[in-house]
Amino acid sequence: MHLVLVGISHRTAPVELRERIDFQSRGLESALRTLAAQAALREAVILSTCNRAELYGVCDELESGRTASVNFIAEFHGLDRQSLQPHVYHLADLDVARHLFRVAAGLDSLVVGEPQILGQVKDAHSVAGAAHVVGPLLNRLFHFSFAVGKRVRTETGLGSGAVSVSFAAVALAKKIFGDLKGRIVLVVGAGEMGKLTALHMKAQGVHQVTIVSRTMAHAARTAEAIGGASAAPWEEMDTLLGVADIVITATGAASPILTKAHVEAVMRPRRNRPLFVIDIAMPRDVEPAAGEIEQVFLYNIDDLQATVRENLARRASEVARAEAIVSEEVERFRTWLRSRGAIPTVIALRQRFDAVRRSEVERLTSSLPVEVRERVEDITRLVVEKLLLTPTEQLKSLSDADTVGAYSEALTRLFGLSQPQAPTPESGSEEQTPQPRSDRGDRRVEPFIRSQKR
Amino acid sequence: MNFIPLALYAAALVAYIWHFAQRQPASGRAATTLLVAGALAHTFVIGMQTMEVGQLPLSNAAAAISAFVWLLILAYLYTEMTTDERAMGTFILPLAVALQSIPAFRPGVEDRSAVLQGPLFGVHVSSLLFAYASFALACVIGITYVLLFKEIKAKHLGFFYARLPSLQVLDSMNQRAIAIGWVFLTIGLFVGWIYATQASASDPRVQAMSLLDPKIFVAVICWAVYSFEAFAARRLGWGGRRSAYLSALGFAIVLLNFVPISYFLTTSHNF
Repeated sequence: MHLVLVGISHRTAPVELRERIDFQSRGLESALRTLAAQAALREAVILSTCNRAELYGVCDELESGRTASVNFIAEFHGLDRQSLQPHVYHLADLDVARHLFRVAAGLDSLVVGEPQILGQVKDAHSVAGAAHVVGPLLNRLFHFSFAVGKRVRTETGLGSGAVSVSFAAVALAKKIFGDLKGRIVLVVGAGEMGKLTALHMKAQGVHQVTIVSRTMAHAARTAEAIGGASAAPWEEMDTLLGVADIVITATGAASPILTKAHVEAVMRPRRNRPLFVIDIAMPRDVEPAAGEIEQVFLYNIDDLQATVRENLARRASEVARAEAIVSEEVERFRTWLRSRGAIPTVIALRQRFDAVRRSEVERLTSSLPVEVRERVEDITRLVVEKLLLTPTEQLKSLSDADTVGAYSEALTRLFGLSQPQAPTPESGSEEQTPQPRSDRGDRRVEPFIRSQKR
Repeated sequence: MNFIPLALYAAALVAYIWHFAQRQPASGRAATTLLVAGALAHTFVIGMQTMEVGQLPLSNAAAAISAFVWLLILAYLYTEMTTDERAMGTFILPLAVALQSIPAFRPGVEDRSAVLQGPLFGVHVSSLLFAYASFALACVIGITYVLLFKEIKAKHLGFFYARLPSLQVLDSMNQRAIAIGWVFLTIGLFVGWIYATQASASDPRVQAMSLLDPKIFVAVICWAVYSFEAFAARRLGWGGRRSAYLSALGFAIVLLNFVPISYFLTTSHNF
């Protein structure tokens, strides 16, 4: 039993190819259904974002699992396998776990530490769960990855700090005003950058967005594009400045449209209510000296870009801590995989006990009335359950392969169990149901004798 | 007796600083736990002293300081629980630890004279202590406001930017603390004045009760400063940095009145 991963990402494939291998647009459910019909993979999860398409699977044999996965991706998207091959990476077993943990942590993202990927990993898992293609192994693997994502987020600064100019502006506004709900935003100029920043502000739930532009028609068009914003003529700018909390200037004017004296005049009746001015125009729209006024916070595009650079540098310095968390969790996952080595023995042991119980109950109670028989059935089942509880727990808690092997061996010999498959922890031996033996009918409580016979 | 809360506060201070620097959730929880333990121990100490004397132990400077620290910690814990913000602990606790070491190392003797008993005396001292605790919080919030303000103004978003709540939140917390403190300061001074007119004139301390006594004089100045701050915030739109500086000034006066004047200068309040 092996974990296998086949995929392409922004690291290996150009955007043209990534666009073509997009499971989301072609229907993730139908992809999973097609996969489920294939014999080579026992479990599967497809993670498909704009930067990666990855197929996580569980297979009996690595090579056939890989081939089947690559073939599936190529066929499903109508691609030539040969042209796909150079861009595909494949990993196996614990390397799959490490890769998924790094992905969930945001370590493998284009912008390191970006927050959306963890949600995308969760979605991928739940869609596969709904399609009934997730089994115990991938289920556990993905839950481990959610924990890694959460730990990295709370224990490191990997995801902290805005890494785009628009988000940096929003983050600053929040540091000045706290909640942005109920705030009033004024956008001066009807350009693209102003619109983008206003959209981000809008997403934070600001109360009102007003666009002023020298050409009223432009302002109206931009306001419409933002949705829920209003447009106002240029002459009303001073009135609007008096009530606004956040001003975004993005005109194409050759000289500043807001001088220090102008802003001072606007600030006086505001009684020191803070004003956050974001000047994203080039050349600048606001005289830099206006930033000296108490309670005026003036940031231009260079200032915002500088904070973005600082944030990126800070994220980079957190990578080592995040990687350490990933390694720790990979170790824990390895331990879990090993403990699964005991599962075939546990199942065989339980089946053996239950078979003995049933045959004895049948033999001894065939002449009794039905109610009594049912009662005896219940009691004996309970006795067997209780007797097996501790050994089962003990076996499952074993973490190293040699001990698991020794215990399994001893139990097999002592109770005459059918030989369970030798545990191969690193490859994650899967739950296996040993074939029930045909001689169930004449079993007696003579385990030792029976085992000698074999 | 006051050593146990002192030790717990000091341990909490270390934890808060650690949490402030590292921002690990576990260290934050440890810090709060230590502080709550300290507050409980402190409550126990004050409760025991109350049982022993038969009234709240407020009648000597050391005991009053201990009660002040206790109120400050409770006020801070309330702020922390309501805002879910631990950053301020790093700034409050140094003050609490410094002040708490006074009752811990110089306990003072409980004065049982008749002048220092009765409900009016209790109301007078406890409202003033509560007012001072509020002002201490306001001062610390003001300092953090200025630190954050300077970072944002200087466009160098660093240490405090990542750790403090927004300017708006700090400003409104500051104003609320000032408003609450001002109400209790007014009540405390007013009750003190009524109390002084009613107390028996035989005690030399009561005879010394006048506006010219340093303790009373400075308390009135204090009231003037905070009244102005509260007025300016509402009528003149003074907020932000000006409020923050006034809070720091006001609390500097409170501290001056509370420790050096209580111990060395006053003749009316020398307990």
